[in-house]
Amino acid sequence: MSKRRISRDDISAYIMIAPFFIFFILFVIVPIGYNFINSFTNYNLGKTRDFVGLKNYINLFTDKNFLQSIYNTLVYAAFSVAPLMIFGLISAVALNGRSKILHITRALFIFPYITSMVAVCMIWLYLYEPSTGIFNKILISLKLKPQNWLFDEKLALPCLIIMNIWKNIGYVMIIYLAGLQSIPQDLYEAGRVDGASDFKMFFKITIPMLSPISFFIFVTTMIEGFKTFEQVRIMTGGGPVNSTTTIVHQIYIRAFSEYKMGYASAMSIILLIIIFVITMINMKIGREKE
Amino acid sequence: MLNPERLKIVLCKINAYKLLTGTIAVILVVLTAFPFFIMLSVSLQTMKEIYAPELVFIPEKAQFVNYLNAMKNGNWGRYMFNSIYVTTIVVIISLFINSMTGYVFARINFKGKNLLFILLLVGMMIPPQVTMVPLFIMMRRFPLAGGNNIWGMGGTGLINTYAGLIIPYIAGSFGVFLCRQFYMTFPKDLDNSALIDGCSRFKIYVRIYLPLSKPVLASLGILKFTGTWNEYTWPLIMTNSDSMKTVQIALTMFRDEAEVIWNQLMAATIISTAIIYILFLLLQKYFVAGILAGSLKE
Repeated sequence: MSKRRISRDDISAYIMIAPFFIFFILFVIVPIGYNFINSFTNYNLGKTRDFVGLKNYINLFTDKNFLQSIYNTLVYAAFSVAPLMIFGLISAVALNGRSKILHITRALFIFPYITSMVAVCMIWLYLYEPSTGIFNKILISLKLKPQNWLFDEKLALPCLIIMNIWKNIGYVMIIYLAGLQSIPQDLYEAGRVDGASDFKMFFKITIPMLSPISFFIFVTTMIEGFKTFEQVRIMTGGGPVNSTTTIVHQIYIRAFSEYKMGYASAMSIILLIIIFVITMINMKIGREKE
Repeated sequence: MLNPERLKIVLCKINAYKLLTGTIAVILVVLTAFPFFIMLSVSLQTMKEIYAPELVFIPEKAQFVNYLNAMKNGNWGRYMFNSIYVTTIVVIISLFINSMTGYVFARINFKGKNLLFILLLVGMMIPPQVTMVPLFIMMRRFPLAGGNNIWGMGGTGLINTYAGLIIPYIAGSFGVFLCRQFYMTFPKDLDNSALIDGCSRFKIYVRIYLPLSKPVLASLGILKFTGTWNEYTWPLIMTNSDSMKTVQIALTMFRDEAEVIWNQLMAATIISTAIIYILFLLLQKYFVAGILAGSLKE
């Protein structure tokens, strides 16, 4: 850094960025530090706020609920990612074009994505409802056995995953569509001249050319998976028997129904580390590719 | 409609590949539309039709009264006002401070710029779920607010206030990054000639850059609008009085009743999302641009 004196331009720059940075530092950066400090205490919103060292972190690794939530979050993220990428890519390839009908169809796929998670949950709660819901009515009319869906320990998590896929296909599709448009058309023309079939060109041109975007989608949907909370809190409350609780849901319960702020802070730090590591790996691989 | 001539051309072009992707796409379209169709259908049914053992897709007589009753079920005027108020303020403030900060980062080489920019990028990586606990404590202990003393004790701070609902959304750094990227594409001469004419930096931003910012501000505004309108977690933590509930929180209240009134719930769901859908239909181009730009941040 050059050691020049502060100029008039510097001062106008500081004044202009001040309104934003006051909010940013106070409400984004400071909370991280504050969280870190709290994670070494037994703060419970009351009077006690004693330093307990690493106790919170040690307790985390024997906390059955927390370990279960890590497992659930991983399952949720992993089983959302693959179908999202496959169906997102197929819909992007099928709907890539200029005609009006393709345009309208693409818009349809975006609707679930821009709908609030609360609204999406309300719709799917009705679909999954055991006594009056649509899925069971369909099963009964097909003479099949009705299911308990969200009340079934084995089915609840897959139910949430399916809803998540439904909500986010549009997002993956948009990203893939942008990627498809960046593939040079002469590659396909060259392929056609060589007599390659459309299937062959899909696997030999489209998929390899989209691999940076696929990697990007993989990372973002993984990270989104780790942030899962709203649908769990609204639809299952983490149950039945903790089968759908996620990391953020555990943070929420500890902090806002048990007021164990110190303990919840330690969980938040673990979540931050997980997301940080994924982002770092992403950046490293991204840089190597360039 | 397709005329026979065009149909012929279309049919000639069809091969196994197009048939396969097309078929899967059609299935996906049906699966995507189905829940929306059910939502609409149930919102117009009677409870008797909903409780009937057989499937009812088209209600015998459309019950528009469900929409009216849903809005009477709770203080919906108030919830709507809360959501609109919070969202509008968030959009206006964040567009202004984000674009102004983005301009400075794109154009002025001030001391400490690199360090602050790295801080900005780090801030973009931090998910709100990680800061919700400390932020809640800070809001609750906010000095001299909600009956708190100067040390932040004694009262409820910014809990159940608009400020508490609004502040976290205007603190995010993504918008600054987005505006900076946009302003970087502007020619530098724009500033230089204005500076020679004796324009201040703020004037250059307001007079030259801001009027040219429509595309970036439209995309960012839409991102902020949908994000704030759709938010559930933060209002859930920050409010517990009925008068401060936002639309999303109010929607979930239908489920707290002993017996869920599904037709009213679906009607309320449609009403609460209508504003986003209208916005989407009017500004589709910017929505897509916003989603693409939003994907840049990771």
